[in-house]
Amino acid sequence: MRRSLLDILACPLCRGDLDVEVIEEDQEEIITGNLICKECGELYPIENGIPNMLPPELREKV
Amino acid sequence: MRDLKTFLQKFMQNCQNVYEPHEDSELLLRCALREIREEDTVLEVGAGSGYVSYFLMDRCRFLIATDINPHAVRCMRELGIDCIRTDLAKGLKGKFSLILFNPPYLELEEWEKAGDWIEIALNGGKNGVEVAARFLVEIKELLSDDGRIILVANSHNLKHICREIERLGYHYEIVDRERLFFEELYGIRIKLKL
Repeated sequence: MRRSLLDILACPLCRGDLDVEVIEEDQEEIITGNLICKECGELYPIENGIPNMLPPELREKV
Repeated sequence: MRDLKTFLQKFMQNCQNVYEPHEDSELLLRCALREIREEDTVLEVGAGSGYVSYFLMDRCRFLIATDINPHAVRCMRELGIDCIRTDLAKGLKGKFSLILFNPPYLELEEWEKAGDWIEIALNGGKNGVEVAARFLVEIKELLSDDGRIILVANSHNLKHICREIERLGYHYEIVDRERLFFEELYGIRIKLKL
């Protein structure tokens, strides 16, 4: 995901802003990492360049 | 320029478990092409293979697509579409001026439920309206004041969808239709009542 996408992402649980923790990135985008809610601390993984914003209870179900 | 051949090549490589574009996808693209403006910020919900977004992404200021299916978001990424994996539009904030959704609109019988990603792409629940109704509720805060939604419906769920649209205080207009063998498809253009 491109870093600029951070402007339009929010925690699906509490609507809090997100911090990003980068594990791997190239010139264009973040490939692997985590988005972490500044309010509630919930973590949303970025894998293969795609953020997974599913609320935690759905992540397990689908 | 974007062409169908490039789309199909990428789709064929990544198409397993992703809804293949059909007449309903074509109808949504047709409506969106008439509606889209260069200054639009566009959100496509449940974008599947990315067929619609792929042909729109160069025609607006910004476009982001979502899908709950991990295979679908992978397919979209291959096509260069900015996408996130989520349920409808959960995890998004801000305002969009054009929002597109071709919802699951079939009321499947038990024997038709395959328990796979394609079922999720087709199954609209009772009267084929449950997912569309939830979308109309959840999307309101992401639609700019003068923004437009294009939603696909069919002859079976149209009256239920229109009832939901009115109940939630939107304006709507049917802007396109296509007769198929066993049903009719509709493109509905929806705006906030100001």
